[in-house]
Amino acid sequence: MRQKALAVLAAAVLGLSACAGDGGAGAAGESTLRWAVTLPAHWDPVVSGSGAQFRILSLAYASLTEIDEHGKAVPNLAQSWDYNDKGDQVTFHLRPGLRFSDGEPLNAAAVKAYLERAKTQENSALDGDLTSIESVTAQGDLDVVIQLTQVDHQIPLLLGERVAQITSPKAAQDPAKLDQSPVGAGPFVVTELVPGSHVYLRKNPDYWDAANIHIDRVELQTAPDAATVVSGLKTGVYDFANLTASQVKAAEAAGLDVVFQPGFNASNISINVNKAPFTNPKVVDAVRYATNRQEFVDKVTFGYGKATDQPFPPEYLAYDQRSANRYPYDPEKARSLLAEAGYAPGQLKLDLVIAGQTYATASEIVQSQLNAVGFDITIKVDPNWEKPFFAKDLALSLYGTTGRESPVQTLTAHFGPNGPLNLSTPYQPEGFEKAVSLARGTPLDSPDYAKNLQAATRAGLESRALVFTYSQPNIFVKSRKVSAITPIPGQIHWTGLKVEP
Amino acid sequence: MIRRVLRLTSGRIAIGILGFIAFLAVFGPILAPQDPLEGTTDILANPSSAHLLGTDYLGRDVLSRLLDGSRVSVLGAVQVALIALVVGVVPGILSVYFGRAFEWVTLRLADTLVALPFLVFAVAVTALLGNGIPQAMFVVGIMVSPLFYRVARAATLSVARSQYVEAAIVAGASVGWVVRKHVWVKVLPPIAVALANTTGVGFVIVSSLTFLGIGVQPPAPTWGGVLASELGYLSFQPWAPLAPTALIMATVWACNLLADAIRDVTGQAGRALLNTRKVADGSAVTA
Repeated sequence: MRQKALAVLAAAVLGLSACAGDGGAGAAGESTLRWAVTLPAHWDPVVSGSGAQFRILSLAYASLTEIDEHGKAVPNLAQSWDYNDKGDQVTFHLRPGLRFSDGEPLNAAAVKAYLERAKTQENSALDGDLTSIESVTAQGDLDVVIQLTQVDHQIPLLLGERVAQITSPKAAQDPAKLDQSPVGAGPFVVTELVPGSHVYLRKNPDYWDAANIHIDRVELQTAPDAATVVSGLKTGVYDFANLTASQVKAAEAAGLDVVFQPGFNASNISINVNKAPFTNPKVVDAVRYATNRQEFVDKVTFGYGKATDQPFPPEYLAYDQRSANRYPYDPEKARSLLAEAGYAPGQLKLDLVIAGQTYATASEIVQSQLNAVGFDITIKVDPNWEKPFFAKDLALSLYGTTGRESPVQTLTAHFGPNGPLNLSTPYQPEGFEKAVSLARGTPLDSPDYAKNLQAATRAGLESRALVFTYSQPNIFVKSRKVSAITPIPGQIHWTGLKVEP
Repeated sequence: MIRRVLRLTSGRIAIGILGFIAFLAVFGPILAPQDPLEGTTDILANPSSAHLLGTDYLGRDVLSRLLDGSRVSVLGAVQVALIALVVGVVPGILSVYFGRAFEWVTLRLADTLVALPFLVFAVAVTALLGNGIPQAMFVVGIMVSPLFYRVARAATLSVARSQYVEAAIVAGASVGWVVRKHVWVKVLPPIAVALANTTGVGFVIVSSLTFLGIGVQPPAPTWGGVLASELGYLSFQPWAPLAPTALIMATVWACNLLADAIRDVTGQAGRALLNTRKVADGSAVTA
């Protein structure tokens, strides 16, 4: 009788297990990556927009191109591309037999539908990046012909992980649903998504490069407090996590692998030159000369970053050496400029509005540096900071970029008349448009490419809307179970990565 | 009552600690050896003669920040207690005399306030009215007031039904006179206990909110804020959270100790205890 009862109980437990969702534990012998990370608020790449979320979305979506270790565009969903002679039309040739995780074919029509949606959807965060695209035509199943509004050799870089993570056109018919139930053709398929808690993914057998994906399962778990990430890895709760610079020593002391992934990151002080007192160029110059970049490097990045006065780190191709250190730290000069602008010390009261913890330390440094030369800065933490920042309603704020594959896209995002990172739109520095146009029109393999790109940077740096401060690498921590990560700037490529079961 | 509290060891300890904290609240910013807002290049430094409690992530002197932050923490806690006192005691007493409708409404209001999570509510209010301790503490004070309401009402009920009060009313005494002459004396001791307790609760709430970065704008120092920032750098200074934690714990403990001491000297058991001690000292005889 007792044995019978036990058998019934066992059957019931098995039955319930079968009914349950993806409970979080992989099968024995499976290779599982447990990643502690800030979960994306959006899973539709068209809406997701800025930030480092595209790195996480790359689990579920594959992009048209990707970049290699040198930042050069290499094939992904598109196995090749070619420009017409004039350079105002580019054709991407897709791999044959591509398929989304919902079974829909990933063909030229699907890419066309994605790009058109990214250009036209009301809440698209990408429309500003696609101004060079005039029209998209599907030529047969495999060729996507993109007609450009201008000669633009940046398109293969542009249509990489950040802008062209292709979504299933069938799923995209309901964009709100897609935003919480991703359907792509990436290396993994989402099996369970609980917003704010966790996301479970399984290897996608239909991924075009599935043979090089060695992880069976990925578990994204909400990142704990920065101070407890290391103990989470040490005790085996996670295998992989993003790490703040302050925790690097603790991670190394715990015997964990700290990975300094190169990146295009740069942080800045955003100024609105359309609002007083920044309508006066002398006040802007006072901010420029009051900024001691090394203090950010020492106190925010704990020495792991670099001072930069441009929207990328100093070693980047587009970094213009001729513009380097144009406004050196000179508090005396800043004080006299403020006096020339008609402000006595402490008279100029300004709010520095920030989003929250991300820029807390940096904001305190900015405050102390500006107050030291005569400003009176009050830090305001606004949880809804995005709204006034992107509506360009703030006078003074802080922001940063994780960078873009296309350097021209980085420049236009910061200095262009519609740039999302330009707090002073529609203001743009004189000569910038022409310089950018020349950089766009230069083939990436041309000997003039670097020169023209740097000239565009130089023109952009005439902008009074941004004071760049520091750049820091993307820091990750992993357990020894996880194999080495290929140093792709700003990205994580899942091919080749292994996790011991 | 204060004299009687001071006769108890626990009362002397509590008043000693709270007196020290009050001293810090008044003179802390003057006593701070360095500018609590000015950073140096010496970040996350260990304690030394230059920085007795070390420096924080921006190289600021931690001792100076704790001293400077005392005022915000103390004022916030006192604000909670005083608002709760005013908002709770008056309707608590009046609910006994102002008829059934008033009694019913105030009781339901008190029940409603007790049901609300005050920390979450305080966070919501700062989001609505702006990030500041006064507005957050005002709301918390109102939400804690049912404690005073119930204490005052219970004490008033016990007096209002006693024969000497009924006799006074029959003899023509007004409600105001009865409250002044008879009720207030009876209500005061439990309110004093509640006040000490609520001040301790106020310290916990102020510290919790400032720990979360709510109520003050950076870089203004607070005990909770200093504790939060120290926790982020445990790998550099594992001992660093001890100082702000000890300050918060000692203050809350002293408030509770004071509440116990007041209860002891004003309650029957407390009186007996005091009288027993007096006999032992030879300073008095048992009544």
